[in-house]
Amino acid sequence: MHVNRREFLRKSICAALGGASLYSAIGSLKLIGAAAAAQRGFSDYKALVCVFMYGGNDSFNTIVPMSGTDLTNYLASRGDLAITTGQQALTPVAGGGPTNYGLHPAMPELAGLFNSGKAAIVANVGSLLYPTTQSDYQDGTVPTPAQLFSHDDQTNQWMTSRPDDANANGWGGRIADLLYASNTGQVPMSITVSGQNRFQRGGTVNQFSVNSWGASCAASGDPDCGPFSVTTMSYLGDGPESWLLPWQDQNVVADDMAAYNALIQSGTQAHVLERAFADSATRTIANSTLINTALNGVTLATAFPDTDLGNQLAAVAMLIKVRQALGMSRQIYFVAVGNYDTHGTQLVDQNDNLTELSQGLAAFYNATVELGIADGVTTFTASDFGRSLAVNADGTDHGWGGHHFVLGGGVRGQRFYGAMPSLAQYDDNNPNSNPDDTGYGQIIPKQAVDQYAATLASWFGVDASSVNDIFPNLGRFPSSDLGFMN
Amino acid sequence: MAIGSWMRRGLAAVVASLSIAASAQGLSHWPDAGFGDSFDGVSGGPASDNEAARFLAQATFGPSPNDIAHLRSVGYTGWLNEQFAAPVSTQTHYLDWFLVAFPDDYLSDDTRLEVWAINSVGTVDPSRPPPNNVATDQLRQRIAFALSEIFVVSNSNGTLAYEPWALASFYDMLAGDAFGNYRTLLEDVSKHPAMGIFLSSIQNQKADATQNIHPDENYAREVMQLFSIGLKQLNADGTPVLVGGQEVPTYDQTTVRGFAAVFTGWDWNNTGCGDTTYTCCMYNEDEGWGTYFWCGPSNYNDPPWMLPMEPVEHYHDNTSDKQLLVYPGVALPGGVLVHGGDAQTEMTHALDNIFNHPNVGPFIAMRLIERLVTSNPTPAYVQRVAQVFDNNGSGVRGDLKAVVKAILLDPEARYGQWQLPDTFGKLREPLLKITQMWRAMEARSTGGRIGTLAPWPPIEEQIGQAPQRSPTVFNFFKPDFEQPGEVEQRGLVSPEFQILTDTAVVATPNYFFHEVFCDYTGSTNCWASDDPTTMQMNEDRDAALAATDPAGLVDKYSALFMSGQMSPFMRDVLITRLNQLTEDNYGQDLGRTRVQHALYLILNSPEYSIQK
Repeated sequence: MHVNRREFLRKSICAALGGASLYSAIGSLKLIGAAAAAQRGFSDYKALVCVFMYGGNDSFNTIVPMSGTDLTNYLASRGDLAITTGQQALTPVAGGGPTNYGLHPAMPELAGLFNSGKAAIVANVGSLLYPTTQSDYQDGTVPTPAQLFSHDDQTNQWMTSRPDDANANGWGGRIADLLYASNTGQVPMSITVSGQNRFQRGGTVNQFSVNSWGASCAASGDPDCGPFSVTTMSYLGDGPESWLLPWQDQNVVADDMAAYNALIQSGTQAHVLERAFADSATRTIANSTLINTALNGVTLATAFPDTDLGNQLAAVAMLIKVRQALGMSRQIYFVAVGNYDTHGTQLVDQNDNLTELSQGLAAFYNATVELGIADGVTTFTASDFGRSLAVNADGTDHGWGGHHFVLGGGVRGQRFYGAMPSLAQYDDNNPNSNPDDTGYGQIIPKQAVDQYAATLASWFGVDASSVNDIFPNLGRFPSSDLGFMN
Repeated sequence: MAIGSWMRRGLAAVVASLSIAASAQGLSHWPDAGFGDSFDGVSGGPASDNEAARFLAQATFGPSPNDIAHLRSVGYTGWLNEQFAAPVSTQTHYLDWFLVAFPDDYLSDDTRLEVWAINSVGTVDPSRPPPNNVATDQLRQRIAFALSEIFVVSNSNGTLAYEPWALASFYDMLAGDAFGNYRTLLEDVSKHPAMGIFLSSIQNQKADATQNIHPDENYAREVMQLFSIGLKQLNADGTPVLVGGQEVPTYDQTTVRGFAAVFTGWDWNNTGCGDTTYTCCMYNEDEGWGTYFWCGPSNYNDPPWMLPMEPVEHYHDNTSDKQLLVYPGVALPGGVLVHGGDAQTEMTHALDNIFNHPNVGPFIAMRLIERLVTSNPTPAYVQRVAQVFDNNGSGVRGDLKAVVKAILLDPEARYGQWQLPDTFGKLREPLLKITQMWRAMEARSTGGRIGTLAPWPPIEEQIGQAPQRSPTVFNFFKPDFEQPGEVEQRGLVSPEFQILTDTAVVATPNYFFHEVFCDYTGSTNCWASDDPTTMQMNEDRDAALAATDPAGLVDKYSALFMSGQMSPFMRDVLITRLNQLTEDNYGQDLGRTRVQHALYLILNSPEYSIQK
């Protein structure tokens, strides 16, 4: 059993803010309610879609130099692992960043979206407690996040933006706790198609998980494909094998439901874990019904690849299509793919990963155009960390800063935000050989997850004062808005 | 089905449930205290069938009536000694058999799940000749399963997805080491090629500055974080050490690099290599070339997939001093492993360095207690078990047999449900519900193979887990996962809830719906119900009882599935439901139908789902 690290009361008060200071301006129950109410009533629709790359995507082989000193440095650092042909050239607007970079050969679609202004690159982002220089790091004079380079911890820090609080809720969950009242429907504002995740863990709003298996097929409307719907319980009469129930017993479904519901009736159980289990079941059944009613017969003209990511994004697109039926004006989606932890066989594995990523993101963007909501949907990538500039023969190790993409009609695209770091090989005798390197091949981020997340939250509709409350460390960094949203 | 008619049934159900609630009103939702409370101590063995069933739910894959009777006759200690001595059941032999017996079938990772089920449920193994062809080592297999959720390898790795022998061999190693010493287990895990692949320590090479190569840190990090000491220093009772109110990390990045440099130079075992089989792993110093990166097995049943890795010294770092763990009493001065040792010597020192860290006892104690008994043990319970890890009573550190015994015979394991009635226990993992159901209902397949864990969609997509199929090295669920809501607010953990997604909330009951209503002895109800690899439950056994005495059936299943802990409220709901099923509608199928409804409602109920 965990020692109670926080008093119960303090946890309740802080719950809606995911650990915000007890002394913050809205650190009391009454004011939280007021703040939530104040956020009610958006007249437009917006969705944030997080695409999490589990394992730590190697940024330095995703966005690669094609000429100049950057290329020379890159070739020396990466050796046989360097990408030297087939790069997808990026052409930022004048003053919008370096002109000598391209995307990995597997990403023509995403390069096209960048070059047409629908995507932007946010460079060298990572988990930071304070702005940190190389000498800050090497001399230990500035606090750095705990457990850097550990998957689990860095994933949590990306998802919570709180390297100083290992128990914080996710920043997606904190946003949802503030804005859920803006939806008239009862279905949770946070939907995941990739299982439980910390990003969407809120104090009030529980993430609702949907299985996206077969979604891209279902979206196509091909009669050989099953429909996309949330599966329901066969025992209760409306599930995939309900035909097994003996229909000569006219009451079988009603009696089944009565017994099952009596057992899971919310809050009546005598044991805390039983109550949690019962609440899960009750909530799922209610929300599943609402979603399935809305999804009945829904298809998309846009084709989605039949990959893991393709299916997940197809599911999200169909759910966005029925946003009005569900009474949603603000939604947060979580999508995730794994296998990015390329300690070995990186050239092959990352090629597969980035093909899936580029094709999936492009299809999703096209679907939002089809739905007439491209300006309202912003997709952003995230990952445990970027990987080491140094290599370990056929792969790379855990790094720190990494590059990410933001995509959507509301993005101020065709630009780099933040400076691309030096790719020079670090020389132990000369730290200045790469001033961005920790000293071991890991690149120090120059932009914090807080800033990245706050920019998205502001666009999404969180007001300025609430942004500071849910990102309490934001003021340590030079700007609270990186400027990549219109 | 039209939504309208469904909603009408829904309304009828609401009315019906109100009437059920009314009739059950006033009935307690607590287990009846009259069942199974004993203060006689554990030395007298289980004092009732319920106590015996409860012990077996913790120590096996689920009790059957025979198991309960046997445990009562020999007592806890007698049972444990029998289990420690029982022959070890393994998996790789089954794959060997399958390859020859079914040359036209596709041997895949699904085949490995067949023998996992055979060994865990204890059905007749078709790959072994009688008489000794039924697994009797329930406790060992249960511990192996628990260990597989701590020392994680998985088919989620692109290579291992096609190497069932490697994964099966790893599980066999866990089973073989389950009652040995933790230090042995740690070395066997570190050297197993499945782990070498999963955490990329195989063919790891020493630093090469000219090529900007550093040793791979993956295994170095996870062997500490997940397999031995964790991220933060622990007191003997498992609570985190606090200095100035802050937790204290157990290691830093320098230590990770130190261990990474130790785990260099390990490559495939060379048994069976040669010109006609597969390339041997070697380096010729005189000629300056080797096969380190281009050697090893080709076919999935070649021995190197199953044998410990071996060093190729040329690629082992023997020039740098390595910073390892520092703690009171550490053998290496300052925790530093001075350079010069060969790969095995350095691995020995490094694993000793980990093994003797004071965290290991409470860390392993907490992990195993969570897998077997309860998600939230008291610190005192953890400490009692950690002390046994530190010293089994005969001066030996790391005695897993003693640790397992300490966990299961501790008063908190035996009586915790009375001491902490609101919080003791854990959410049963879906796989353990399935195996319990099969054991309790004498399930068999007509042909001996068990294909029921390989449905479509894959079982792990339905119920959230499958043996050695975790998506990452962090297992299906983290040991410190807290379900949002009351659990989290009270500072409790609930690891298994992490896979209780909305998808699983529906898919797991649907899996049980299929099993209960399709797959019983003699059934042809559904496609593949009578397939020779389908597990069929013996629903006839209790049919007569169900038809004539529904209350008796409910009580029998309360004892068998819930150790007698079914509340009067739940009992009433079930009896009411069974009485609604009438001979008019079901005729001679009445008995089996009542069995089916009782099973389904129990398996998916909150009270059963929480193992107490």
